[in-house]
Parts: sequence; structure tokens; C-alpha cells
Amino acid sequence: MLIINGSTDDAGHEDPGHPERPERLAAVLAGVEDLHLGDDLLAVAPYAASRSELVRVHESTYLDQLGAFCYEGGGDLDEDTYATYDSWSLAQYAAGAGLAVVREMRIRGDGVGFVAVRPPGHHALRDRAMGFCLLNNIAVTAAELTSLGERVLIIDWDVHHGNGTQAIFWEDPNVLYVSTHQWPLFPGSGAPFEIGGLNALGATVNLPLPPGATGDVLRQALEETAVPAIDEFKPTWVLVSAGFDAHRADPMADLALSSGDFAQMATFAASHAPAPGRIALFLEGGYDLAALRSSVNATLGSLLGDGVASENPTSGGPGADVVRSTRETRLAALRIAHDAGQ
Amino acid sequence: MKPIHTIAVGFDGSADSKVAVRWALTLARHYDAHVVVAHAVGLLGRFDAKNVAVELEESLLALCDECGLEHARARLEITDGDACSVMLRMAEPPISADLLVVGTRGQGAHAGLLLGSTSLELAEHSPIPLVIVPSS
Repeated sequence: MLIINGSTDDAGHEDPGHPERPERLAAVLAGVEDLHLGDDLLAVAPYAASRSELVRVHESTYLDQLGAFCYEGGGDLDEDTYATYDSWSLAQYAAGAGLAVVREMRIRGDGVGFVAVRPPGHHALRDRAMGFCLLNNIAVTAAELTSLGERVLIIDWDVHHGNGTQAIFWEDPNVLYVSTHQWPLFPGSGAPFEIGGLNALGATVNLPLPPGATGDVLRQALEETAVPAIDEFKPTWVLVSAGFDAHRADPMADLALSSGDFAQMATFAASHAPAPGRIALFLEGGYDLAALRSSVNATLGSLLGDGVASENPTSGGPGADVVRSTRETRLAALRIAHDAGQ
Repeated sequence: MKPIHTIAVGFDGSADSKVAVRWALTLARHYDAHVVVAHAVGLLGRFDAKNVAVELEESLLALCDECGLEHARARLEITDGDACSVMLRMAEPPISADLLVVGTRGQGAHAGLLLGSTSLELAEHSPIPLVIVPSS
């Protein structure tokens, strides 16, 4: 069963001509409809994250300022990020959507969660909007799960490094953050030597990939560098920052993945969930509407056992050498950090 | 006071940022320092990054001439990220700037709020001295 919290009632967060636009969500939900799930689709009621749920990952003053900024009519928060009068309300619903999905999954003990919301979240810092993101949606849910004693693996396959999520959980040993991303590229963070803070050494795994990298290289990076960290961490929940802008058709970056690759990554993520009903995906980027639709369809289809990806997984791109050097750099950084701590 | 060897200044090509670059270049001449002129490439900036780089390089050379600083003492550093993060990175290795310089860019009706103002966000977070140069 797919447990979804998604709504197309998001038109109030729009800046004409901006790529982070309401049509994205319509394409995502079309990708879900293409699965023809019938009774296997459960839509949970919209839920706005409360102040106490947001302050687990955001500074109180930032929340006040963002709310005030929006109620004054909004505007540009930086060169990329906008907010409108409606954005504060919509962002609270986007941040609460994951909470509603995960609570339903905990009751049922089953299902695949899908949080189809905008604005996206993984660039949002504790005290700052950034990279189209206002509130860090996946972090709000991960923080709730860790408050309940869970150990949360976050896999972030958006083409951009999730600097906000990494920063929020930098010192938290109960969250393992694994990111595959194009590098160099915005936001400029995500180097392999970024391995977590003193209280959580090794709990951040960055897997940068060069432009043109294909799915086989990405899978190699995950198998060689992320799997040992995941096995050692032993997650009790898996959350995915599911951006689809690493697709070869996406205008925002230069990786060369297909919808079939996203299906394989979803299978990889699910293989690390310890039980049914312990994986939820959060929409992040993805700006080519056709690629977004087919990639969402392939991703969810692979998790639910329905449908076949319309594109085959890709191979033959550059980056095998980067994967090797990433692993070596990470191991060296871990050795240096452990030696310095002794 | 720590000697000033390297000054990092934010530059997006706007009139306000040109005022800040002029101030930084002039200060560098007095202190015999080097200037790193930082330009942040955001998510949307990638679409015209090459053209912008050429324009900024030309502007920088002209500003060096105007301020009497040798071209070799100033260089353009184009970096992925938002303006605030990129300037904070200038304080870390390998740049390790001793001073950050930015211009002011008001946000109209929101000028009293911290949000949307790179200079005010830097004032809160910068680990090294920061100069905010008024546009007039």
C-alpha cells in the first residue's frame, strides 16, 4: 500500500518563470496515478507541523521571521529562493506531511510512505531558507522519529547535496545521512571528508559524482562506501530525499540517470529498511515534468511491486575513479578524526 | 590586531557590490593585501554562469585600474552556493581571508528583517571581521 500526503492545492507558492513551480507536483501525482493503485492507495489528511515540531530542527527566531516575511507579502529570500503570502502556511503543511504519513505507517506497521509536497526542504538550514527550500521537511520527520528512539537512515539522491539536512544532523549519532550528488555543483558542500561532527563521526556519508555519471557508477558508490556505514548503523527507519533532478533530461544539472536508475535506487533504499512499513520518500527537486512523472512512477512501482520502469538503468558514464578516491578520502578522514579524538 | 593579508569581497555585478569591491581594492592597496573577489553561483545562476564570469572579470580589471591596484593582487573566485555560504567559506582554508567585505542590498519593505539580507546574515555568522559598505 502507498500511504501518501500530497495535494495540488499549492498554487499560492509560485513565482512566475521560476522552475520550482506548482506544475511539478501535478506531474508527480500523475506519476502516482499512472500506477492505478486503487485500494492500495491511502491519502492521509493534510497536517500542518506545529511550532514544537518545527523547533526541533529550526531556530525559533527564523520561524518568526519567515512567518512575518510571508505575511508582509513575501519576496526574494536569496538569489534562488522566493516566498509569497501563502508560503508560510504551505511550508508548514509541507513540513507536517511527513509526520502524518509516518504516524499512519506506525499504526499500520506496513506500507510505503510518499510525501509529495512543495516547497522542497533539504537545503533549508536551521536558521535560513536556501535553494528553493523554506523548512526542512525530511528533517522534521527524522527528528520526530529519533525523539521516539528510532535510528534513521536518510538517503538523499537529489542531484544537489542536501546541505541543510547534513547540517541539522551533523552532531546527531541517531541519524545516518547518505548523499549522492553531482560535484562540483550548488550548494558547494558534500565533500567526502565531511563525515559528521565529533558526536557523530562517520554518520555523514557524501558520495560526489562527476557530470555525466550514470546509474552503474552511483550504485558502485553506494555499495562500496555507503553500505558498510549503513550495516554498522543498523537503521530502524529509512527516509529518502527523493529528488529527481539527476535524471538526464533535467535542466538543473548534468548527471545522466534514467527512471530505471531511480527504481533501482529505491530498491536499494528499501533493502536497508528493517521491516515493512519503515520507508518513506520525500519529494525534493526534479524540474523536467515528463522525467519527474516517469521517475516517480518507476520509483514507487519498484517499491510496490507494480509496473516496470519506462527507461532501462544506465551505465558507461564517467566516475569510477571518483568513487574510489571518495572511499579513500572518507576512510582517511575517519582515521584522522579518530586519532585526534584519542 | 591580526594583520590583513587577504580580503574577500562579495561581487554580483550590482552597483552596490561594485561600491564594496572598490572599498576592498582601495583597502588592499593601503595594507599591501590581496583581494579575493567572490561570486556565488546559485541554483539558477548556472544557466548564464559563463557569460557572467566574463563580465565580472572585465569589471574587476576596470575597478582595479580605477583604484590603482595591480591586477595580480585581485582575483575572481566563482563558487557554487548561496551568497552567504560562499562568503562564510572565504573565511576557511584554502582562502582563509582575514576580512570579509560586502555591500548592502536593502529588501524594500522587508529591510528591517534579517531574512533576505546577506550582509545582516553574515554579521550574525561571520567568524572574522566583516565590513558592510553602504551604497552611498
